[in-house]
Amino acid sequence: MRRHFAHLPRLGLRTRITVAFAVGALLMSVSLSLATVALTRRNLLDQRESSATAQAFTNAETVRRQVSPETDARPMRVLTDLQTPSGSFPVLWLSGNWYAVTPEFGEDALPDELADMVRDGQPARMRFAGSETTHLAIGVPLGSEQEGAYFEIVSLEELEGTLESLSISLVAASIATTLAGAGLGSWAARRVLRPLAGVGRAAGAISAGRLDTRVDASDDPDLAQLANSFNEMAASLEERIRRDARFASNVSHELRSPLMTLAASIEVLENQRDEMPERARSALDLMIADIDRFRQLVEDLLEISRFDAGVMYLDLEEVRLAELVMQAVTSSTDADVQVDIDADLAGVVVRADKRRLVRVIANLLDNAAKYAKGASRVELRKRDHAVLIAVEDDGTGVPPEDRETIFHRFNRGSLANRRLGIDGVGLGLALVGEHIRLHGGAVWVEDRPDGHEGARFVIELPVAS
Amino acid sequence: MIVGTRILSVEDDERIRTAVKLALEDEGWSVEEADTGEQALTAFQRQPSDVVLIDIMLPGIDGFEVCRSIRRTSDVPIIMVTARADTHDVVAGLEAGADDYLTKPFAPKELSARIRALLRRARSSDSASTHLRFGDLEIIPDEGVVRRAGHEIHLTKTEFRLLVELASSPGRVFSREVLLERVWGYGYFGDGRLVDVHVRRLRTKVEADPANPRHVVTVRGLGYKLQT
Repeated sequence: MRRHFAHLPRLGLRTRITVAFAVGALLMSVSLSLATVALTRRNLLDQRESSATAQAFTNAETVRRQVSPETDARPMRVLTDLQTPSGSFPVLWLSGNWYAVTPEFGEDALPDELADMVRDGQPARMRFAGSETTHLAIGVPLGSEQEGAYFEIVSLEELEGTLESLSISLVAASIATTLAGAGLGSWAARRVLRPLAGVGRAAGAISAGRLDTRVDASDDPDLAQLANSFNEMAASLEERIRRDARFASNVSHELRSPLMTLAASIEVLENQRDEMPERARSALDLMIADIDRFRQLVEDLLEISRFDAGVMYLDLEEVRLAELVMQAVTSSTDADVQVDIDADLAGVVVRADKRRLVRVIANLLDNAAKYAKGASRVELRKRDHAVLIAVEDDGTGVPPEDRETIFHRFNRGSLANRRLGIDGVGLGLALVGEHIRLHGGAVWVEDRPDGHEGARFVIELPVAS
Repeated sequence: MIVGTRILSVEDDERIRTAVKLALEDEGWSVEEADTGEQALTAFQRQPSDVVLIDIMLPGIDGFEVCRSIRRTSDVPIIMVTARADTHDVVAGLEAGADDYLTKPFAPKELSARIRALLRRARSSDSASTHLRFGDLEIIPDEGVVRRAGHEIHLTKTEFRLLVELASSPGRVFSREVLLERVWGYGYFGDGRLVDVHVRRLRTKVEADPANPRHVVTVRGLGYKLQT
């Protein structure tokens, strides 16, 4: 049973508070209603019984006087002359004979037990269930002079009716109270949880990168504590992230100066290349290649630290995408790769940071060059309100488990083992991801649609309609 | 190779300065060095050079100020060296009067290419008319003279080349890419802000009301043109 319940979805705090309020209101109103009905019923019955009893005794006295041997009145006449309120039916037992005004409420209607008791000379009162409703029967012996007894059957229908409408009112009141309880619970829960929702929104904003988000400190001391702890946590988180970002940025900045000297010096050496012995030339070529790599790494690090520090700004302008893709391909090492551009995309303009977008495409081409001996095809086509730029290669493809992590920093995935000639640093694709996100687009890697082995990197950019 | 070209290099890091000097001398240019802004201004006053290379981050008076000071008296091509391409530094440097910029670390080959582009002479108008007139604006390409309402105005070499380029086909819209290529020698990948800031600078000189230009007008989304 427990296990079974464990599978039920856990109710939210708000729902639980609402339910608790509703159940509480229901229990309270039901018990109040039950008590009210019971008390009222007893009171009404007592009243009715005592008034009916008093009336029965009075009537019995009247009957006794009128049917005494001296007067010799006719019993039926005596009964019909009695002043009885509606719902009261007199019955007379006199000298072994029964008289009743209404045949329906005659001797047969009387409970035997009561009739016997009264005929034995004992006044009695009894409630019994009649054919349709509860009745009260009161019996009074007429006294020693005469063998007889006066009975009165009182219908409690009216009283039952009263109690029934009271019950209906109380049930309605209970329902209303329960609903009100649920409403109150829901409102209270919302009220209590509102600051929590604020904290939740703030946490969401922080994880989305808006590190300076804080929650409003509340006047309520209970909530102020939560708000303050949250804000302190956010502040220290922000400080740590900024410090890390600053560190990366500072390191990269510091690397620029020596790099600048290296880049300039190596060029001076390169100018003397022809006069160098063979071995020195080989060493020089290694240095040239690695200074270039070093420079790329520092630039990438700087660029990515700008994202981390939140100081990355795009230099947006209107760019003809087809032209940009052509230019990016032409200036790459893969200049002769096949480029397919949708005819209706020729004039499509997007708002983009031209140089960064070119860099993104260059990075994808570099990636293909590094891991798959170059791109096999570049495609630009339209899809709904977006354009897709795809770079395909003939490599071994990217296994599904690496398709997410391949865009992480310094992550070359498990493919690093399989792909050949690894000489890049794993920042190129991470930068592609960051830039495209900043452009409001998306980037992913998938299988080639033509079924050939190889990866297909796709950039999706929104197009203003 | 432009023989006898003198370059003033202002850079406070001695190693960088020396390495850049060596690389530029390999191009056949002579390089004068300065390690502070004050020293640079003194050197320039003593003997103006053909190109000035200024690092923005200098102790004492900074690169922007050096640039502005030189601009007060000279139309020499100035190249700014900035730490980052995406900050306000680039625009501020261009507004201070720089003609072009480079981001550290750059390869000296790039620098030489920039210097060569800035040293090119303004293209003479190939049409017979060597005397162009646009309202109150008068351009004499071969003499490097521009007059507004009869008064000669001083443009930097790059501003002048930009104006002559626009004037070569009055009324035709030039995209930023085309202007970047023709004036600065950049291809598709040049920084459009070079054009924008130079147009702004040009307007303050050739327009009666730079806020409502009548000569050099913007064609939204396309580029710039010289109104006939």
